[in-house]
Amino acid sequence: MTASRDIARDGPAPVTARAVSARGLASWLNSSKGLGLVLLAPAMVLVVLFFLVPVVVTGLIAFTNMSTATGITGGAYQVSPSALRVLTDQHGMGALAERLGQPTYTVDEQGLATLEEMGIEPGIVAGLRERHLGETYSSRREFERAIRALPERPATRTVKRISAAFSRSLANERFASAGALIAAAEAVEPDLDAAEKQALVEATYTGWTWTSENFRRLATSRDTERVFFNTLFFVATTLVLFNTGYAMVLAIATHYIPERAAGIFRIIWFLPRISPVVIYVLLWKWLAWDTGFLSALLSNFGVRPRNWMLDSATNAWVFVILINGFVGASMGMVIFASAIKAIPQSLFHAAAVDGAYRWQQIRHIILPHLKWPILFVTCYQTLSLLTSIDQTLLSTDGGPGGATEIWSLWIYHTALNNYAGNLQYGYGAAMALVLVVIGITLSLLYLRLFNYNALIIKPRIEH
Amino acid sequence: MRILLDKFSKSFGDVRVIEDMTLEVNDGEMLALLGPSGCGKSTTLFAICGIHKVSGGRIFFGERDMTDVPSQERNVGVVFQSYALYPHMTVAENIAFPLRIRKLPEAEVKRQMEEMARLVHIEELLGRRPAELSGGQQQRVALARALVRRPNVLLLDEPLANLDAKLRLEMRSEIRRIQLETGITAILVTHDQVEAMSMCDRIAIMNAGRIIQIATPQEMYRNPRTAFVAGFLGNPPIAFLDAVARDGWLAVEDADIRLPVPPGTRTPPDGTPVVLGIRPETLGREGDAPIRGRVTFVETQGRENLYDITLANGSVLRSIQRVSDDVSLNDEVEWRVRSDQIFVFSQNGERL
Repeated sequence: MTASRDIARDGPAPVTARAVSARGLASWLNSSKGLGLVLLAPAMVLVVLFFLVPVVVTGLIAFTNMSTATGITGGAYQVSPSALRVLTDQHGMGALAERLGQPTYTVDEQGLATLEEMGIEPGIVAGLRERHLGETYSSRREFERAIRALPERPATRTVKRISAAFSRSLANERFASAGALIAAAEAVEPDLDAAEKQALVEATYTGWTWTSENFRRLATSRDTERVFFNTLFFVATTLVLFNTGYAMVLAIATHYIPERAAGIFRIIWFLPRISPVVIYVLLWKWLAWDTGFLSALLSNFGVRPRNWMLDSATNAWVFVILINGFVGASMGMVIFASAIKAIPQSLFHAAAVDGAYRWQQIRHIILPHLKWPILFVTCYQTLSLLTSIDQTLLSTDGGPGGATEIWSLWIYHTALNNYAGNLQYGYGAAMALVLVVIGITLSLLYLRLFNYNALIIKPRIEH
Repeated sequence: MRILLDKFSKSFGDVRVIEDMTLEVNDGEMLALLGPSGCGKSTTLFAICGIHKVSGGRIFFGERDMTDVPSQERNVGVVFQSYALYPHMTVAENIAFPLRIRKLPEAEVKRQMEEMARLVHIEELLGRRPAELSGGQQQRVALARALVRRPNVLLLDEPLANLDAKLRLEMRSEIRRIQLETGITAILVTHDQVEAMSMCDRIAIMNAGRIIQIATPQEMYRNPRTAFVAGFLGNPPIAFLDAVARDGWLAVEDADIRLPVPPGTRTPPDGTPVVLGIRPETLGREGDAPIRGRVTFVETQGRENLYDITLANGSVLRSIQRVSDDVSLNDEVEWRVRSDQIFVFSQNGERL
């Protein structure tokens, strides 16, 4: 109590200011714009965190060569044979690569200290220091000839041990920073120019770098074409046969049969959708395994048991499309059925007395009314099939021999899980980006095709 | 074409809507099925066009038994209450639909469609869609679509219910004009007695699944068979008054009214309770039997005034008269009834 009175006694000015700001806030909240923003804020945060950021990050990673080999943080500088090959092939510095790759022999105090530790005769060490300190040899033979010429005349085995101690090759050396690399390189090759240094740093870097190489690779790879046509086949067939075609058959059939039977029928077709994917696909696998239902059944007729799902590419496709189609059909069925239900009963009566039999009613009354639902289902299911992965991953995993490898699965295999173990994040991200672009393009195309603007135009009813 | 319903019955599950109804519609006649909602008039219509299967009895078009013929082959034209125009087709396509379904040659379809559009005066609307038409225009399209295949019978299911008052008046005469011009047999289902009386040759008045009376509008108005019929026809409606037969007179004892038994009505035995039906136009300044009461309501209708007069026993009678300024609310009046024009019903509503 006292405290609040104290605050009030502080003077009228702060109280007024607080009141004004509170009133300002209230009026801002009262405006629909302000309130809308407030209510939208949590959703916006979620959209940004879980959609926009991942998309942008994927887009960025698509322009890198990130992989298991490069890591995702950074890297070191290693003069590996492959780095030297890059130096030769991409930078045209074959001579430099050869020199860096070849061992050189430099007589220095460090090497002499090593000799002493190895227990080489002090006379030999002293002789080397005396006669050859600071000299560099570009070949082993030359250096060994010089060692043999020493007054102590070391034995051949000793000569080999001595020369090894002075080997100062850059090959397979690893440096933490570009500076250390250049310093070491200059020790071998004192007159490096700026371009050569730059090329050397680039070629030996083991971390990820920015590049558009992924897209060039994607555009030229033969796998791209194969997976693209696989995906096209998968999406088109599943969409036309099941997600719209079969869904439409189910919706129309259930429209003409009694309500109760129709309800049971629809629930049955909903089971694939509501059962957990793993269990659903497992049931299909039990059906198809070489000791499964199909084989057991057919063995009665003398058919050799086999894994029907992975027996041939055709079989694999049949199963992949059935598995995905049965899941997808239910959504179209529900949407089409409710759209048919929304058609006034009197239109069917009118059509019947106008002479239209059932098939003509479907053709002239039902189908025209399903234009918008068909667009919606086609559009939605195209996108969801393009990105669908779980059923195919669990059933065939792209097999046999990559026959059912579809784009989304290819991304997964490239970037997240493959046999070779080198996960190519950058390449995978580029594939994902291409998929996003295809999805957006298709959506726009569908809207244009179905004349979206005419569909949402307001009816002009006058009385 | 003559339409005959012979002992037609219809039930939905356990609910019997119509039982043993017999109705004949003459060739070229326009008949109204009139009744309150739920009386089975639309059910009858849907049975005639084949949308509902009948539960019993037979339906004949001319000599042909149509009972088991599907609606596609009955060749009936139906105008639905909601018009049921196909929203995705233009007016022209809507009208041509029955012909196209029949796979008539396209030139013939176009010719007949245009002819029908001229008949119902919508030639300039052929390119529009139903959503772009007013209620009256939609009504005309629905009529054209129903008539274009030259049906055996035209069925109209509450065709004017969705129109505003002015359009209703206009379409009333339009439908009648078109029906007369084409000479088609027509059945109009309505709950509006004015529509039934103004448009139709005969009225079949229905209640609770049964036809109470079939007659020309005038006959039915002048000579209702039951109190229900008398109450259904006429606007402002008839007023009913409880009375008893006393000494060869009809008396309302607690209101000091004695009326002679109208000619053609057999005199009920003394002390029989009866119900008198008195139309507003039979009560007024002229007549033979005096009625005293107090004016409790005055409604000016322009040409006429409508009065409610409350009798001594609390019953209310209605009177419609030429406009005059000499009567105002709460005046005690003594008016007269033309006793030869009143109706006498028994307690169960049958006309005596």
